[in-house]
Formats: sequence, C-alpha cells, structure tokens
Amino acid sequence: MVVKVEGLVKRYDKLVALDYLDLQVEEGEIFGLLGPNGSGKTTAINCILSLLKYDKGNIEIFGKTMGPNAYDIKKDIGIIMQNVAVFDELTVYENISYFCSLYVKKKEEVKRLTKEALEFVSLEDYKNFYPKKLSGGLLRRLNIACGIVHKPKLIILDEPTVAVDPQSRNKILEGIKKLNEEGATIIYTSHYMEEVEQICSNIAIIDKGRVIAKGTKDDLKAMISIGEKISMEVFQMEEEPLDALRRLPNIYSVEHRENLLEIKSKKGKNNLVSVLEFMQRMNIHVGKVITELPTLNDVFLEITGKELRD
Amino acid sequence: MSFQLYISRLKCLFRNKEAMFWCYLFPIMLASCFFFAFNNLWKMEYFETLPIAYVSEGEEDKTFTQVLEAATADEGVKMFDITYSDEATAKQMLDEGEIDAYILGNTKPELYVKASGLNETIIKSFLDTYRQMSTTVTAILQKNPNAINEGLLEDVMAHNTYLEAVKNDKKPAELLVYFYSLLAFTCIFAGNWGLDEVVNIQANLSGRGARVSVSPIPKMKLFLCNILAAFTAHMGSLLLLFFYMYYVIKIDFGNNLMYLFAVCMVGSFAGLGLGAFIGVWVKKKAEVKEAILSVVTLGGAFLSGMMMPEIKYMVATKFPVLSYINPVNLLTDAMYSLYYYDNYDRFYINILLLGIIAFSLGILSIVGLRRKSYASI
Repeated sequence: MVVKVEGLVKRYDKLVALDYLDLQVEEGEIFGLLGPNGSGKTTAINCILSLLKYDKGNIEIFGKTMGPNAYDIKKDIGIIMQNVAVFDELTVYENISYFCSLYVKKKEEVKRLTKEALEFVSLEDYKNFYPKKLSGGLLRRLNIACGIVHKPKLIILDEPTVAVDPQSRNKILEGIKKLNEEGATIIYTSHYMEEVEQICSNIAIIDKGRVIAKGTKDDLKAMISIGEKISMEVFQMEEEPLDALRRLPNIYSVEHRENLLEIKSKKGKNNLVSVLEFMQRMNIHVGKVITELPTLNDVFLEITGKELRD
Repeated sequence: MSFQLYISRLKCLFRNKEAMFWCYLFPIMLASCFFFAFNNLWKMEYFETLPIAYVSEGEEDKTFTQVLEAATADEGVKMFDITYSDEATAKQMLDEGEIDAYILGNTKPELYVKASGLNETIIKSFLDTYRQMSTTVTAILQKNPNAINEGLLEDVMAHNTYLEAVKNDKKPAELLVYFYSLLAFTCIFAGNWGLDEVVNIQANLSGRGARVSVSPIPKMKLFLCNILAAFTAHMGSLLLLFFYMYYVIKIDFGNNLMYLFAVCMVGSFAGLGLGAFIGVWVKKKAEVKEAILSVVTLGGAFLSGMMMPEIKYMVATKFPVLSYINPVNLLTDAMYSLYYYDNYDRFYINILLLGIIAFSLGILSIVGLRRKSYASI
C-alpha cells in the first residue's frame, strides 16, 4: 500500500473539514478523489503531505508514518498544486531545474532530468520563456513539470486542469496516464467527473469530509439503482400517458421539460425497447433518442441528493 | 545543491525589477537629489575669494583700498580678488559675470552689484562695517585727537567670542548626515527582502512555499541559502551606492569608509532579520505583513529622527529604552557618531547593540520557521 489514511479528522474551529476520512491507495494505480468544491479534497491532500496539522488520525506513506520531517518519504513524492506555483523571475528551464535541485544533488543529473521533464510536457520550444509569457495551458504544463521532474514514485495532482483549455487538458490527462505507465502511483483530485472516469482505476467520492463511496467506476455505478438514462424528443405529451409511463415496470423516474423526456430506468435489459413500444402504443411521435449509462454524477446525486457541481 | 539554490535565488532577486528599482536605483536617485539640492549649501561652508573691481574716482580713501587688499577670511584666505579699472570696464565685467560687484572709490565708497546673492551680501556687509567703523573713529578723533594714542583702534577692533570652536580634524560637512541617513534607510530596506524569503518558503503564504515544504530539503537550509542570497544582493546595492557617492558625486567620508561599510553589513543583516521576523511571527496575509513592515520601518525612521531631528532627542530623553531597541536609530546613531565624535566608543556600542538585535531577530525567525505544519493554508 502506498498511502493509508485512517480516521483523519481536521477541524477549522467549529467546521469539520475532514470527518474520520479513510483512504487506501495501492501501488501503481491512479486513484481519483472526487468531490464537489469544498468537500475536503485539498484539505485531505494537505494533511497527507503534512502541510496541515490535523486533529486525529493516522497517515502512512510507503508503509512509514508521514510527518513534517519525514524527508526519506518526501523525496519520492511529487506534488502538483491547484494554483500554479513557480517563480516569475526564472525561465521555464530554470524553474524546472530549481525544483529538481531541491531533490537531486548532482548537477549533471539535474540537467538530464530537467531536459526529460521539458520533453515530457512538450515545453522545449518555450524553455527560455518567463512564466508570464505563457498561456494558461502552458503554465499548467510547467507546473506539472516542476512537480514530476525528480521522477517521484507517488504523484499527487490537486485539480491540475482547472481553467485549462481542452487541448491542454487532454495533454495533461495523457501525461498522467503515461506517468502511471512508467510506474508512478497517482492521486488525482478533481470535481470534473469525466476526467476521473477517464483516467482513474480507483475512485473515492468525498463529501463533507467523508468518503461516501469508493471502488472502481463500475463498482460505484453498480451501487445505484439507475441502470440507463433515456432522453427522447417528444412533441406532444399529456399528463395521462406520462403517468402511465411512470407506472411501467423498471422505470425509476420520468421528467418532462418542453420537448424533452428524460427517463431513468432501473438495472435490467430491454428498457429502451419497452419504452419505445409504450410510445408507439400511445401513438406519441418520438424524435431523437439518446441512451446513456449512469455517470459518477448520478452516483453522487443518488447518494447525496445533490449534483457534483452544486 | 545549496550553491545551485543560492544562485537561483540570486537570479530571482536580480530579475525582480521592482525590488531592483527600490534597492538599487532609488537610493542612487535620492543621493543625486541630495547632491544637487544641497551642493550649493555645501559650497557655502568653504569661503572662496570674491572677485571685485575697484574704480578709482577723484579723491579716494587710501585706507579703504589698503583694507580691501588686506582683508582675509578664515584660514588666511584673501577676501577679495581686486581688479583696478575704469567704471566702463568694471560695468562690463559685472554684466559678463566676471566680478560679483564693483566699488566706486571716493571719500564715501559706493557699491554696485548686478543681483542680490550671498557674495554680494558679504561685500555689502564688509563695506557697511568699514563705513560704520570709519565714521566712529573719525567722530571720536574729532572730539579727542589723543584717543588714537589711548588705544582707540584696539578698542574699536576688539570683539569677544563667547563660543569656542573645537577642531576635530573633520571637514565641516554637516550635510554628510543626509547621506548617512540614506545609507541607513537603504540598510533597513533589506527588510522587504527578508520578508520575501520567508514568504517563499512558508506553505501557508505561497504555493511555492508549499512546494518547497513537501520537498526533502530542510526548511532551515533553504532559508539560510535564500537569506545569504538576499544579503549578497543587498550588499551589492549598498556597494553600488557607496561607489556612486564616493566616486561619482564625490562625497568625502573621510577615514570612516571601513567603519561605514561594517555598519552597513550589520544593518543589512538587521534589516533582513526584521523582515524575516515579521514574516514568520505575524499571522496575517503576505500583504498585511508587508504593510506592517513598512509601518515598523518608517516608524523606526521617524523615532530615530530621520524626519524630525527633535524626535530623536525626545525619545532619547523620555523613552531611552526605545532608542536602544530601535534598529533604525542604532544604525543612524552609529553613522552619526562617526561624524560627530573623535573616538569610536559610541559607534561600537551602537554596532554591538545592532548586532545583538540582528542576531536575536534571526534566531527568533529560525525558531518560528521550525514550526512544520500549519493550522490552515
């Protein structure tokens, strides 16, 4: 086990930021910490890194107790913060080199690792640029390069794609997968469920400082009653057939807004067929039909009664 | 590793345009302003022979020309450089600025000047004094012709001096204190850099601080590397200021250069220590800490009499302890004592106290930095 957090409690006066939080991160996985803003993700990360004091609990990294003086643990950790943390007065190359030299003593080794990190985030053409001259996406990539330059075994990324353009976001996500393939264990926090679904092998959903669900994305989706989401374009829908539709077996919920009918069905086969048969029977004309599997947002919605982005 | 960190930090400091302006350029600009503003005042402290012309016209007072020729200022410098000419030539010389005034010599010498100024005032004052004394002597001799044998001239010329000038072999350059104050303030300005160094390594103050806090490098080592870089860069600014004052605007610091340099070094450390101390121990945002540092620095400068000399005296008499714990006061006092005193006792006391304060601030900052985790970030 790379990271083990047990019963972590952190209070800010009366506000409980972390409420007996438990996490386990296995070696070689991309572990997603998913939760809305203010759910306690960053607080949990700061406690794991011993930046924040906590009231109760135990944190182990690489099987050893983590603490502010645990330099032998820290040397194998890379951190990419939510906010870009680089020096405006140093060039892209100098920034990466500076953060590398906090971990690596040999000058030649620093040079080699800096070059590799530059290539990894595709910033070779910008190596002599100052951070202020970089776009938001390039700046994020520099931030990542500074965090991974020393080839850490555990990389913690705290919402690294906030305010990033889609192209840079994809590049960042691809990079995270590549780092994982090269052997690094990743902890990835985000409130973007699509990103977490896309790259994480294990996910913990966190709300109000507690883990409310954890497992693979399939495990999580299996926890809820919704099996399928069907969206239909309908041009005419009276109350009577709508009630009848709600009474169909295996239908979880039905919502009608303007020309759009949203049906959530329970787990089971042929739900779409039975709905379409019903519409034909009732002589209701149907336009476009879209079916979707439930998302992590549905999981969060069902467990907490609110949307992830609320 | 440490050397690389030190060099990187130096690069950061030297590339920070704002810090460079305030630490390198601003003191030089201020020194230039002082120089140009006070240059004339400075010159006034040294008497220069005044060029005048004497126009002989009709019946002239022979004694007056003898007195003019013989008049000397302090240290035997001749008061007047006299050109004897006709009135037209004298007038032309006056118009062209070759002379400060011309005197029309007759029984009652008349003074002609082109403008009013210090030199013209001196010449007029000399002429008035001569007329007054000459009239006095003439009047007395008319009543008592024997008075000249009774020591009249000695009595008229005699004057009592109630102040005794004590020479201390130092050039009379009171304006040096402005440049000392500038040096002192530049030293204390290091506080901003001390504060910056703390902000850059504390996780609760900056993202960079958080990043270095999770690295395996001990915070103390990084702090010392950064402070050393800040000290180097700051001493660079002081050396540049010295160079400018000594070689460009030619301020004569006498034999005290090494002493000044020593007090600047300790002052720079005290400034860095003060900034670091506020950075570590004031539990507020970085902007608030900066504001507090400015208030403390300016308050210290005010209490040390940099803005109103009377305040320094008031603090020294009514709140003497404040004088001994105010680093700005110790700094300025050490510098002033170089100018005012012949021996270095007071200088040594000031520099010792300043050193103790710098050391204490440094130690307290290090103790504060040892706190490893924060209650909130």
